[in-house]
Amino acid sequence: MALLTKRLRAPEAAKYVLLAMLAILFLFPIYSLILASFRPGRDLMRYGITFASLAPDFFSGNNYAALLTGHSGAYPVWYRNSLLLAFFQTVFTLGFSSFVGYGLGVYQFRARNALTLLVLFIMIVPLQILILPLYKLMTTLHTMNTFPGILLPFIVSPFAIFFFRQYAVGIPKDFLDAGRIDGLNEYAIFLRISAPLMTPAFGAMAILVAQQSWNNFLWPLIVVRTGNMFTLTIGLNSLLTPYGNNYDMLIAGSCVASVPIIIVFFFFQKYFISGLSAGGIKG
Amino acid sequence: MKQSLFQSSMRRAPYVFVLPFIISVLVFYLYPIIATIVMSFQDVVPGETRFIGTANYQKMFSEDFSKALGNSFKYTAFTILILIPVPVILAVMLNTHRRRTNAAYRAVLFLPSLVSVVVAGTIFRLMFAYSPRAVINAVIVALGGRATDWVLGGAAQAMFLMVMIAVWRWTGVNIVYFLSGLQSIPSELYEAADMDGARPLRRLFSITLPLLKPTIIFVTTISIFGGFAMFEESFIFWQGQSPNNVGLTMVGLIYKKGFQTGSMGLASAIGIVLMVVIFIVSVIALRSFGFFKRES
Amino acid sequence: MRRFLVLILLITSVAGFNAFATDLTLWTFQELHANFYQSMVPVWNAANPAKQITLKPEVFPYDDLHNKLLVALQSGVGAPDIADIEVSKFANYLKGTIQLAPLNDLLDPIKDKFFQSRLALYEKGGKYYGIDFHVGMEVMYYNNEIMKEAGVDIDKIKTWYDYIKAGQQVVAKTGKPMCTLETTEHWSVYPLFSLAGSDVLDKNNKVILDNPTNVRVLQMLYDMVYKYKIAVATPGGFHHNEQYYGFMNDGGAASIWMPLWYMGRFTDYMPDLKGKMAIRPMPIFDGSVNGIKSSFLSTGMGGTGTAVTLQSKNIPLAKSFLVWVKGSKEGNIAIWQQLGFDPMRWDVWTDPAMREPNKFTRYFQNNDIFGMMVAVKNGLNTTVVSGNYPDVIDILKRNVSYQALVEQSKTPEQALKDAAAQLRK
Repeated sequence: MALLTKRLRAPEAAKYVLLAMLAILFLFPIYSLILASFRPGRDLMRYGITFASLAPDFFSGNNYAALLTGHSGAYPVWYRNSLLLAFFQTVFTLGFSSFVGYGLGVYQFRARNALTLLVLFIMIVPLQILILPLYKLMTTLHTMNTFPGILLPFIVSPFAIFFFRQYAVGIPKDFLDAGRIDGLNEYAIFLRISAPLMTPAFGAMAILVAQQSWNNFLWPLIVVRTGNMFTLTIGLNSLLTPYGNNYDMLIAGSCVASVPIIIVFFFFQKYFISGLSAGGIKG
Repeated sequence: MKQSLFQSSMRRAPYVFVLPFIISVLVFYLYPIIATIVMSFQDVVPGETRFIGTANYQKMFSEDFSKALGNSFKYTAFTILILIPVPVILAVMLNTHRRRTNAAYRAVLFLPSLVSVVVAGTIFRLMFAYSPRAVINAVIVALGGRATDWVLGGAAQAMFLMVMIAVWRWTGVNIVYFLSGLQSIPSELYEAADMDGARPLRRLFSITLPLLKPTIIFVTTISIFGGFAMFEESFIFWQGQSPNNVGLTMVGLIYKKGFQTGSMGLASAIGIVLMVVIFIVSVIALRSFGFFKRES
Repeated sequence: MRRFLVLILLITSVAGFNAFATDLTLWTFQELHANFYQSMVPVWNAANPAKQITLKPEVFPYDDLHNKLLVALQSGVGAPDIADIEVSKFANYLKGTIQLAPLNDLLDPIKDKFFQSRLALYEKGGKYYGIDFHVGMEVMYYNNEIMKEAGVDIDKIKTWYDYIKAGQQVVAKTGKPMCTLETTEHWSVYPLFSLAGSDVLDKNNKVILDNPTNVRVLQMLYDMVYKYKIAVATPGGFHHNEQYYGFMNDGGAASIWMPLWYMGRFTDYMPDLKGKMAIRPMPIFDGSVNGIKSSFLSTGMGGTGTAVTLQSKNIPLAKSFLVWVKGSKEGNIAIWQQLGFDPMRWDVWTDPAMREPNKFTRYFQNNDIFGMMVAVKNGLNTTVVSGNYPDVIDILKRNVSYQALVEQSKTPEQALKDAAAQLRK
């Protein structure tokens, strides 16, 4: 055993050197964005991110101040909208998806396998193909340019359903039976007994859904019509137009939009990771 | 009495639980797919919607269409070629006993996927700017080359940009998938192999890869779907207006025809064709993985 | 009593709150336009106390605005009262049952005071659905500092032959290119088609993109890059782009041909060129280059047809405001003074207000920009913008210049022919 670790030393060191270089390469774009955000946006759009713009110079641009005032105070509105949407999306999607996933995982009934396969199938169909009729649907439902219009298509997330199902399968039947003996109906059992047992699943899915909502771009782009409904993603995108000159807002705004998720990630890493893992293993 | 009430409640319960799913599938998936099929045979203008048979399908095949299809194919191929083998190797590298170090690297490589596509696209546009002082061009110039216009310089440069941003964003995610697949491989198998004196490369090909197959199949499938459905990355770089359509993808074409020129019928037809293409490619891929064979 | 009421209304409208005002929503893709409209609202309100408005402009990115508007009009819900629609997209909104309000009742009484060709851009079946800002006369902008350094007198450049010769002198003496050519938009090539007496569509909406004149024009541009070596591809691909502004501001090229409304880009985005730029009429095609000959002195380019949508709940009021702000004398003068656009009412052109100094006259070396334009105004060509125009311009923008000038994957003739073939399908 000791012989093995000694022999592996050189190759292992080389491996970690390679990984370190890769890590630096991967971090570089985010690092350069943060540093560049202190520089005047116009220079960045003209000459790009240069090595000169990487020198920390925290006072040459007043981008962060402009975030609050620029474009008649649009940025805080975008931020508020994104926060609200992420919150509601998480609550509703988790509520419905856990409900469905639990049902699929805990009960033996005839349609079970067919429905599970349907969930998997839906997971794979990309939203982009459905945008046209979905758009017409939203128009008919009078939900264009409203929060429900943005939230609805994502309320039942097949990914989350599948995840909750996998988790629910592992709930010991005894707990459920105990609840039944106590006189609880199935839905009460779900709420009072099973849901608390699935807390890690809720944690993982909450993170995943919130992140997806925060970064959602295509659907809000289609649904949102007025400036006061813009989310961060489409708001920042609107700054990329050459007909305005709010590049200060764009760069600093990109940072402020991304940093919260990165911070959340560092605290709740294991939830991110476990959220993705379930889909992969069973294949 | 109570018993039968419970029993009937228990029997009904699963259907109640899955009801929201059924409804949402009907409303948000089945209805749109059927509506798309129907619209693909129509011509949709304000005030009038009329059936025009297969005219949309015939009109569809133009230079734009072949560009879009070609770009989507190339993009999917390149991303799979890079984003499967490399993360597998990296996952294997990170699957050793040094838990904390490995977790740190995994976290760093995962970070790019957290950033929205708008932010990622903005960063890449700025890094890959035409100016010789922009970081990528500065390095190239320092190595003796010439500054390139990555965004507007040509089809190869455009494809390179799109693939690069995908590699940056999804490597970490694929590593996580593969790591979880690796961790479900029983360690006894490796120990047995070590006992037999197997070298690392042999282990990789005889044990790891075969047992990782389900995960590889899964990741490949979602990569095919993701590759053909790619739209946002291209939109961020060119806002849907790439010169000579170097950045045009199938979904980009649907968006263009549907929302820009208002030809919803034609766009729907393109959507149907895209679904068929994805289906065919996936089946071919799965076939070559032996997915449909009955294994012992 | 009336004066007192007007005072109250003025005060409250300045304070942003106006109980008697009707809300009008307006969509545009240009913040400058939104600012202009907003600045004219108090003037309207003071003159029309019984018909006051509160304007609510929304600024969307160019493509996004047109997509959203089209979809809103097609689906029957979500459209604003008033919308800016750029000329190269306008025909998309004239398909099927038109969802825009005809402006004839307000426009007919005054329409003989306009450049008819600009009104015709937004006309279908005898009805006017949109009204523009300007004529958009194509002019040449010279960086006179570079030109003088090269020893060229810009007043001696009369024809394209003169221009190319001058370009070679500029390159030889200063090392700077004479001009930049757009490769992802059409402002370099399309105006020259028109100046040469040609177009991309004929009056019957047939595609003539690949006619011999156009081929010769594009060949001339190709030669400017590769044969005479006086032109380069615009950094950033088009002239409305930070990369180009930075390049030009740093003295990157000696000249650029764009419509008159491009003045505002110089004043707003290229401050270092203040006092160095001079505007002159376009060189003409007298047969000396590639055999291209035409009698036209310039052409009207670009435009924004602002329209009232049928979904508006205040159509008469919106129409009145719109036709006033863009069609009245005071509106037209304000358009020049604030936006630097050459207004559509020719009876305003000789108004002394047009010769007052403003930020544009202070920026450019010209003593009398308008005087120069009056001299040219009878030699303007017009263009066809109806029917398939959006698709034609789209392909012209995206493929032709890029293929011929950047990728060199097709000769100019081939690029035009392929584009035309695709359009004719």
